[in-house]
Amino acid sequence: MSLRFHWMLPKGGEVGMKTAQETSRVLTTKSTSKASLPDMEGWLKFSRCAEEAGIESVLMSFSRYEPDTLVIASALGQQTKTLKFIVAYRTGFMQPATFVQQVNTLSGLIGGRVALNIVAGSSAAEQRGYGDFLDHDQRYARADEFLEICHLFWRRNGDVAYQGDYFQVESGQLSTPFLAPDRSAPEIYVSGHSVQAERLAQRQGSCWLRLIDTPENLLPLVERNREHGIEMCLRLCVICRPTRDEALDAARALLPDDDTERAERQILNSSESQTLKQALAKADEVGWMNENLWAGLVPFYGSSAITLVGTPQELARAFLAYKAIGITQFIISGWPKLEEMVIFGRDVVPLVRVAETSCKSC
Amino acid sequence: MCEKSVNNPRSSVVRFHWMLPKAGEVSIGGPQTPGEAAHYRLASTRDGSPAPIPDIRGWTLFGRRAEESGIESLLVSFSKYEPDPILVSAALGQRTAKLKFIAAYRSGLMKPATFVQQVNTVSAFMPGRLALNIVAGSSTAEQRGYGDFLAHDERYARAEEFLEVCHSFWRGNGDVSFDGKYYQVDQGKLHTPLFANGLATPEIYISGHSAQAEQLALSKGTCLLRVADTIENLKPAVARVRERGIEVCLRMCVICRPTRAEAIDVAESLLPQDAMGQYERSVAVKNDSQMYREASEAQDKWLSPLLWKGFVRYYGPVWTTLLGSFDDVAGALLEYKEIGVTQFIMSGWPELDEVRTFGNEVVTRVRRAEAGI
Repeated sequence: MSLRFHWMLPKGGEVGMKTAQETSRVLTTKSTSKASLPDMEGWLKFSRCAEEAGIESVLMSFSRYEPDTLVIASALGQQTKTLKFIVAYRTGFMQPATFVQQVNTLSGLIGGRVALNIVAGSSAAEQRGYGDFLDHDQRYARADEFLEICHLFWRRNGDVAYQGDYFQVESGQLSTPFLAPDRSAPEIYVSGHSVQAERLAQRQGSCWLRLIDTPENLLPLVERNREHGIEMCLRLCVICRPTRDEALDAARALLPDDDTERAERQILNSSESQTLKQALAKADEVGWMNENLWAGLVPFYGSSAITLVGTPQELARAFLAYKAIGITQFIISGWPKLEEMVIFGRDVVPLVRVAETSCKSC
Repeated sequence: MCEKSVNNPRSSVVRFHWMLPKAGEVSIGGPQTPGEAAHYRLASTRDGSPAPIPDIRGWTLFGRRAEESGIESLLVSFSKYEPDPILVSAALGQRTAKLKFIAAYRSGLMKPATFVQQVNTVSAFMPGRLALNIVAGSSTAEQRGYGDFLAHDERYARAEEFLEVCHSFWRGNGDVSFDGKYYQVDQGKLHTPLFANGLATPEIYISGHSAQAEQLALSKGTCLLRVADTIENLKPAVARVRERGIEVCLRMCVICRPTRAEAIDVAESLLPQDAMGQYERSVAVKNDSQMYREASEAQDKWLSPLLWKGFVRYYGPVWTTLLGSFDDVAGALLEYKEIGVTQFIMSGWPELDEVRTFGNEVVTRVRRAEAGI
């Protein structure tokens, strides 16, 4: 199996932005940010470049600051050919039957090119703004029931009946099936670093999505999840330049001004997310996690900003090291949003593919 | 109560919408008789029907034909037998230029904030081209299959709260907080705004014949959507609703032909030949909506010289049919306009042919009359 490379879909307006500082979360969560508006032109350009770069899917994030992911995938998928969409959604916001009807409809509208990134919730404040008042652990219990019911609908094995704490369904039927050339249900990426997230991935998902770490730290996690038959996908950023010095310069150029730093700290500190807390600790305590893995951007760009920095050869070697321990997928981003993906597709992917062909056991 | 944005409709032109055909209906190869096409529609809830499979090709063909024919919007219906109307509208909007979509949705199936986020997102890349047909629910059995166990009247109370929360988000006047019986929101905000060509909300059609439906239209909608009836029967209700600043839109089927006799022949060819009609009737009777109860009790076939209820007891209330010559049909629509009806949502078979005939022959006659020619 070849490694599967996905990319983070830039937020509205970001495709045209040339500096990382413009894309900081402090700015994208302001109500005046272009992130709130669909950017069809930018996204189409980005999607076509992704298809050319050998990127399999784009992940579309969900938040109150951005347009709805299912709707955007329906529209964007009309004008792309092979790119898949990993649509992030939170489980407490609609009835599972309604969600399945939307996901199945989307699959039929865009040739089955849809996967899901299921998230149990976000900060308590954001959840309450959506009308969800459960706490962290209850949200995971609900997410489990939610996906259980979704799977019942996807199995299409008679009417769906379910009696749970959070959802009840009686004689549920949906005529529109999940339509894809090779699947009868979408791939489900469950993200989060808490014990509950990992368990949810194992019980209801096809892949556990988490932040990148060193291969040594990840090895035990991979082993216990492979036992449950699920894949692991790593979220990371890349900075790839012809020489290591150039890559380091590019990395340093991403550091923002002091005001942004303080504001981002506030966002990070207010979160209940295990993912964020762990990532932040990494940034504060170690900075460089190994020769190529740098957590220095986390305080400014959020937990997903742990970055592989280096030359094409170094990065290819790093990806193959993850493959050797059993990681199968990656969701990447970089700065500038479009250009870094083009570099990655041109300089890194071919090296990985050559190595994969010549070494069957890799 | 929120501001209604209705101009004086008697001086403006009536608006014609059409029902989006079921998936597969316009893709069937070759010419269809009206009977074949209508039969397809009737069988759309049965196993093996292509109606559940999104039909981008057929819908795009129909959408472009409707645009050419002077049709303003397509109503995209919601049921467990069909693809999701919001996503279908988003996809079809990419393949048409100015056509609008009236997406039907039931109010109990998602959080109002999530619904607003989806609606605003669609509106943001096709500004002013999304309207809503809010339905409080369907049959009790179908609602339970979606996880909704409320009774008819409570569903209306919930719909009232649902739209109240939606309106709060659309007003964009600070964070949204709401503490109701069915919904609670604490400091809700959504950054993606609504793009509705200057209107404060999307147009909201409320359908249903019960007193609760009319009440909901008055308090939270922009337009009451109901099945066509005679001028005499509609007049008081239309006047009552219009007085409150709400429009009235009539849902009907149309069969227009050069002569009335030809239209009647087509209508008769559509009557059920077999047990099909009985099956459909049993579906209609099971339903707990007021509209369906009225329909299954329908006796008189001709409500007026042009308005025929021959299909209704078999196929359901929305099959109330206006039929006649081009002049007859145009005249009847103008009579509705006289009493204050401002919009119509049509169906007709085969859809591709009927929408073109309607556009060429009926819409042009109505527009000429409206211009005083």
